[in-house]
Amino acid sequence: MAELDRSRWNDPAYMAQRIAACEREIQKGIVGQRELIRQVMLAMLTGGNVLLEGMPGLGKTRLVSTIGRVFDLSFKRIQFTPDLMPSDVTGTNIIIKNEQGSSFSFERGPVFANLILADEINRATPKTQSALLEAMQEHTVTVGNVSHVLEAPFFVLATQNPIESEGTYPLPEAQLDRFMFKLLVRFPTREELKGIVALTEGSKEPPIEKQMDGEGLLAARNLINQIPIADAVMDYLLEIVMATHAPNPHIREGASPRAAQALIRAARAKAFLEGRFNVSFQDVKEAAYPVLRHRIIPAFDAISAGITEDDIITRILDANTASTGR
Amino acid sequence: MNIADLLKKSVSALSIGAGAGLLFQVVALFAPLYYADLYMILAFLLAEMAVFVVMLIKRTTMEQAALRMDGFGFDERIVTAYEHLDEEGALIRLQREDAMKQLREHRERIQIPLRPSLKRIGLLFLLIVLSVGLSVLPSGAKDRARELHSVQEEAKEKEDEIEEIIEALEQLAQEELTEEQQEMLREMTESLESSIAEYQQADSDKMLTAASQKLSYKYENMSSQLSDIIQDLQDGAGVSVVSADAMQEMADRLKKMSDMRQAKSDGSGTGQGSGGQGDAGDGNGQSGQGDTGDGNGNGQSGNGAGNDDGQNGQSGNGDGNGQNGQGEGGGSGNGRGDGSNSTPHDYISVPNAVADSGNLTGNVGNHETSEYFRAQNGLNWEGAHTSYEEVIGSYEQNAYEGIAAQRYPSGMEDIIKEYFASFNN
Repeated sequence: MAELDRSRWNDPAYMAQRIAACEREIQKGIVGQRELIRQVMLAMLTGGNVLLEGMPGLGKTRLVSTIGRVFDLSFKRIQFTPDLMPSDVTGTNIIIKNEQGSSFSFERGPVFANLILADEINRATPKTQSALLEAMQEHTVTVGNVSHVLEAPFFVLATQNPIESEGTYPLPEAQLDRFMFKLLVRFPTREELKGIVALTEGSKEPPIEKQMDGEGLLAARNLINQIPIADAVMDYLLEIVMATHAPNPHIREGASPRAAQALIRAARAKAFLEGRFNVSFQDVKEAAYPVLRHRIIPAFDAISAGITEDDIITRILDANTASTGR
Repeated sequence: MNIADLLKKSVSALSIGAGAGLLFQVVALFAPLYYADLYMILAFLLAEMAVFVVMLIKRTTMEQAALRMDGFGFDERIVTAYEHLDEEGALIRLQREDAMKQLREHRERIQIPLRPSLKRIGLLFLLIVLSVGLSVLPSGAKDRARELHSVQEEAKEKEDEIEEIIEALEQLAQEELTEEQQEMLREMTESLESSIAEYQQADSDKMLTAASQKLSYKYENMSSQLSDIIQDLQDGAGVSVVSADAMQEMADRLKKMSDMRQAKSDGSGTGQGSGGQGDAGDGNGQSGQGDTGDGNGNGQSGNGAGNDDGQNGQSGNGDGNGQNGQGEGGGSGNGRGDGSNSTPHDYISVPNAVADSGNLTGNVGNHETSEYFRAQNGLNWEGAHTSYEEVIGSYEQNAYEGIAAQRYPSGMEDIIKEYFASFNN
């Protein structure tokens, strides 16, 4: 691995180069799922949390651990079960006895890491789910009267199984809104599956090397926030979010203002990942799906007609092209 | 201004203009629309002007131009760079350099086709050809439109002329006149106003001629009346010189206008009179019975003219015209006037005397004995309402007398006889 030149953290060209190297390194450990890797990278570069929806065994844990290694970040996995308590996530105060007497000491929970994999988050009770809320939004954990700041960067990657709904607690809209992206993990193709088997069942796996660290990731986020956006692109972005609130027989509830914020950040990060320093209409279009699909609540008509959230988003994107001037 | 857009929009607008022009031309084929060609050209011009105005108002801004350029695969680099020209910063600078680099390397991508699509041009060409083709295609409606236009133009001139006379009449010092004389002037004014109405209603040469003949008569009569008034005033010696001069001037003017009009109508009257002699004259007479007053008048006069010169004398055109009866055309036509529209068909208006009756005291060219009265809304010659059968009988008698006196061209006798015989069947 090339040594990180920390003096160039503010150099956009250098940082773009490092981020591209990170993506390539992650792809060494994950066969296929390039789009998924790209989108998880986008979320990381903008400080957003990701909800992954897909069948078990598709490499979600491996993805997160690989990211952790590439970015040199601490990684914790929490398996959510119905009997998981909030304190199992956040940590708790325990009594310490010594020569001076007894005192309370805060024992950190697994949430105290840079990367958290909240596996099958919908299996835990809402009370436990909400324990993650503060951490995800505020990047702090409050136990008793004391708030503990989580180390930056902090990134939650939660998973949920789309088909096993027995004994689950679907995430409320308020909590869903705190996830920047909802990503759909598709089943690999035959070729990809062959590659996965060869990679995991072979005698040796390719070494995953560190390409960046937490500090560099934060510097990259700072740079990305400065990427300029043309007025027309901004108008287009807002037009899309507003269109989710326009009368539409397929939408019961449109996206929140957080969607617009997430869309701007995601579009900027996508441009950066592609080596551009400006946001294009295409960046906005591609970011619209992961940003909006869990923020739009489909109407009964849409559900009964088998129209998915992605179908609704496609229609909105097709119908709102006035700002693009094309 | 976006030239490509201008050309594209121009073709579309001109197509709309050509479509409108085509519509005018189609309408002109079936309805009298004299200015169809002008409207067609105006539609073209308006369409193009509208495009210019719209393009001027909605002219392309630099941001829009940059956005358009970005459409050629520059991923909004150019518009972003343009909008952030005044800003500084590492990222902004990098973005600007990136945009310039991309623009330099891929300048050839920017190809905006100036020529509008061939389909649109073809449509425009087709519409223009159709419009022009229809504009030169002859039709009855177009002939009618031309006639109507000519009539309206002439009528307008006459209306202006009459208004001028009315104005002059009103300016005469009426306070020096007796009530009777003032009433006369009022009647003159009203009579002229009714002539304006007639001109306004005229929609054919025939109606125009009738109105002109009537007006000519009125002018002459008014001239005479004014002369009488002047004479009366001078006799009474109670009038100012200025008023007398003005009235005299007006009388001379009216006389002159009447003479000019008669001289003009001599030419056209001959044709009408001749027609009166033949089938056309008879035909007019027939249709005049149940139709419009002018139709009756012309027909009647046509026949009357054929019979004698005296009637010609009434309208002052008798000299030399003889049978052509143009005088009667005017005379009897005027006699019917608009009044006959509401008159039952079995009554027609005839002159109070026929020339060969010996009762006519006037001379050719002198209308002093002609009298007129106002009936309803028109100025009519004084006449008696006579039943249709009586009139036909009288005409028939005159016709047979004419045949006996060999006044008609040889060969016409049988036709005349058959004509009158047809009324008895």
